[in-house]
Amino acid sequence: MMWLSQGFIFRRGTSVYHRIDPRVKLLISVLLFVTVLLVRSLYELTGILVFMVTIAAVATVLRRVARTMAFTALFSAFIFVLNFVFTRNAETSLLYAARFIAIVVSTSLFFITTSPDELEQVMKTFRLPRDVIFAFVTAVRFIPVMFLDTIQIMDAQKSRGLELEKGNVIRRVRNMIPVLIPLVVNSVVRSGELAEAMESRAYGAVARPTSLVEYKSSLSDRAVAIAAVVMFALTAYSFYYILPSAVL
Amino acid sequence: MIELQDVTFVHQNGVRALDGVSLKIDSGETVGIVGENGAGKTTLVKHVTGLLKPTSGKVLVDGKSTGETSTAQLSRKVGVAFQNPDHQLFSESVEEEMAFALRNFGFPAELVEQRVTWGLGLFGLEEYRKSSPLVLSGGEKKRLTLACILAWDPEVVILDEPTVGQDSIQKEKLAGTIRMLASSGKTVVVVSHDIEFLWPVQPRVVVMKAGRIVGDGPASRIMQDRDILDSARVAQPQLVEFYQSLRARPGKPFVDPLDARRWLEGGGGK
Amino acid sequence: MADILEIEDLSFRYPDSPRQTVAEFSLNVPEGEIVVLAGPSGCGKSTLLRAVNGLIPHMYSGEYSGHVRVGGADVKESTMRDLAQKVGFLFQNPENQIFMFTVERDVAFGLENLGVPRPEMRARVDEAMRLLDIGALAQRAPYELSDGQKQRVALAGVLAMKPKLVILDEPTSLLDPKTAAELVDLVASLRKNLGTTFVVVEHRLDLLVKVADRLVVMNEGRKVMEGSPKKILFGENAESYGVTVPSVTRLQKMLSVDGLVSQDELMAPARLAEALGGRGK
Repeated sequence: MMWLSQGFIFRRGTSVYHRIDPRVKLLISVLLFVTVLLVRSLYELTGILVFMVTIAAVATVLRRVARTMAFTALFSAFIFVLNFVFTRNAETSLLYAARFIAIVVSTSLFFITTSPDELEQVMKTFRLPRDVIFAFVTAVRFIPVMFLDTIQIMDAQKSRGLELEKGNVIRRVRNMIPVLIPLVVNSVVRSGELAEAMESRAYGAVARPTSLVEYKSSLSDRAVAIAAVVMFALTAYSFYYILPSAVL
Repeated sequence: MIELQDVTFVHQNGVRALDGVSLKIDSGETVGIVGENGAGKTTLVKHVTGLLKPTSGKVLVDGKSTGETSTAQLSRKVGVAFQNPDHQLFSESVEEEMAFALRNFGFPAELVEQRVTWGLGLFGLEEYRKSSPLVLSGGEKKRLTLACILAWDPEVVILDEPTVGQDSIQKEKLAGTIRMLASSGKTVVVVSHDIEFLWPVQPRVVVMKAGRIVGDGPASRIMQDRDILDSARVAQPQLVEFYQSLRARPGKPFVDPLDARRWLEGGGGK
Repeated sequence: MADILEIEDLSFRYPDSPRQTVAEFSLNVPEGEIVVLAGPSGCGKSTLLRAVNGLIPHMYSGEYSGHVRVGGADVKESTMRDLAQKVGFLFQNPENQIFMFTVERDVAFGLENLGVPRPEMRARVDEAMRLLDIGALAQRAPYELSDGQKQRVALAGVLAMKPKLVILDEPTSLLDPKTAAELVDLVASLRKNLGTTFVVVEHRLDLLVKVADRLVVMNEGRKVMEGSPKKILFGENAESYGVTVPSVTRLQKMLSVDGLVSQDELMAPARLAEALGGRGK
């Protein structure tokens, strides 16, 4: 839960990185992701991780990324053990485990610096259907609300004698029913109310709705994009042609 | 019975929802907690059953700190009716819904049946015994949640904004229920911004503002204190305002002040 | 001036309901009035409102007879697109009518849906935010707003569509008294400045009686009382229909029976004291 919130939930920021066009931010994260998949040694991986941590620092989200890495390390330890059991090779097992952390960080960088509005803009660029985009935006908008609802429901049920912290796994799962049912019912009711409000504000009246805010990418955004692609190309090249002969 | 000792509660985002609150409620008292939205009323209520634990200070229920037991256990003694019934109804039938808490608290089966029947009868919900709680109207749902609480017979009943969305007939019934609870010796705490509703109940009134208690005393005194009420952005009951305006007029009033006083204390006169 | 809203003998029954939710209801509302609709829970108020803005019959079907005309156009024959520009609807729960992640985009929601060109949209959004005094909140996210602020944002979104008639469904039920009073004052000033007609469903009459031109009481789908707030509240039956008569009004009624004050106007507490005091015995 904490992991998700630290690593993937957007929070406002004013850093240079935040202000980059979201499509470029997506590009950067995709390139980082692919780079991580290309690494074949721990040196390369460390290099990528250091680079991503530097980006995090520039984007003023270093603490959150650090926490994300820490939480992910728990999962990674599991990957390490699994690999080690089967390959008996500490170095490759460590590589796989660390790669997982790096993948998470590369995607996390995108999500924590990109607002839902920007996400919507990205989705529009990819020409996703209007209804899909709207459903997504609305869902994200209601995440904090549903989170609060869950707490209130748990409070109400605890106040009726429901023990959410006791008992074995089976008991605990069963005890979630009085929390899940009201949550689901409320969501359904909410959808109905939203539908009424949407209709009342002419949703779907026009095939191509207009937009209040215009998103234009600036010259600097394009420059960043080009720089990112160039860096990626150089890195991939060095992984495959330069480093193997120099190091391995 | 319930005691808050210098309780401060600070949210994760730094907001001080409660700031050095000290409050003692004795067994059998009827208390109204008033204040604008955000003053800390619901936060205070949540501390009583341990849903929230104080950042500093202590909360004692019957002498024991809330940090030492779970909310579920505290709720056996302190029943809290939250504002939104849709946050708790989930069972297949109304009778199952009423039995839920009773079973959680370990009531034996025959007693559960007895209490369910009693509760349904008291609130006029017997006809819905086998219906799903989700198809009841808003007012019926509110009555059901209250019935659920009274079924386990807690010593303290706390109502959080019970009059929201209720019409005058439903409010009358609610006032009657509160009077009944009070006269049977229960401790009743009502958090409400509906001053007009609280006034005829004549409870002890605790006024909250920005996480602090700024007034605490009998309704007849507190509701006449414009300074406290204005600073806490709490409206004055209309009859109190009338009485004070009348008293402030020069010369002899056209109306016998004794009559006015009677109206005042009768809370509306009928 | 023509009536902005004409409800003529409206009856409606939901498909799985044994009885009619609205029965032979008629009401004419001239432009610029503030009408309060009251009645016990379950009397059909919500259904009636939805028949006015078109959700019935366009979103909810059922047995429908009679006519509802807004600005002369029959609701049944109009599209939701047209109706959305004539009738604004402020729902009870402010949370479930704010869709977007930022305030200003939510205010623009209806205009985006209508395909309004950007410069005009910008102007209308700014104007709506100015009217509701929420300009400072333009970039905020909904979860950062108080209930009162959410209410204003939703109302701004409605007003941006420039409707002639605005319906408010129990707008103050979740607000504390001071915030509720502020909303009521806002409604009154909007009526004064824009000439918008308002139909408000409310239980909390003590706030609205000051500004309402007319009070309509419903019970079991029918209109049972209609008239000036004064006439209804001094009348005999208001309370039996779940209408909360303000305490000071009950007092004024009692005193007027003894001939001590008149029933010429609904008096606030201070005014009532003034009418009584200082005359000696």
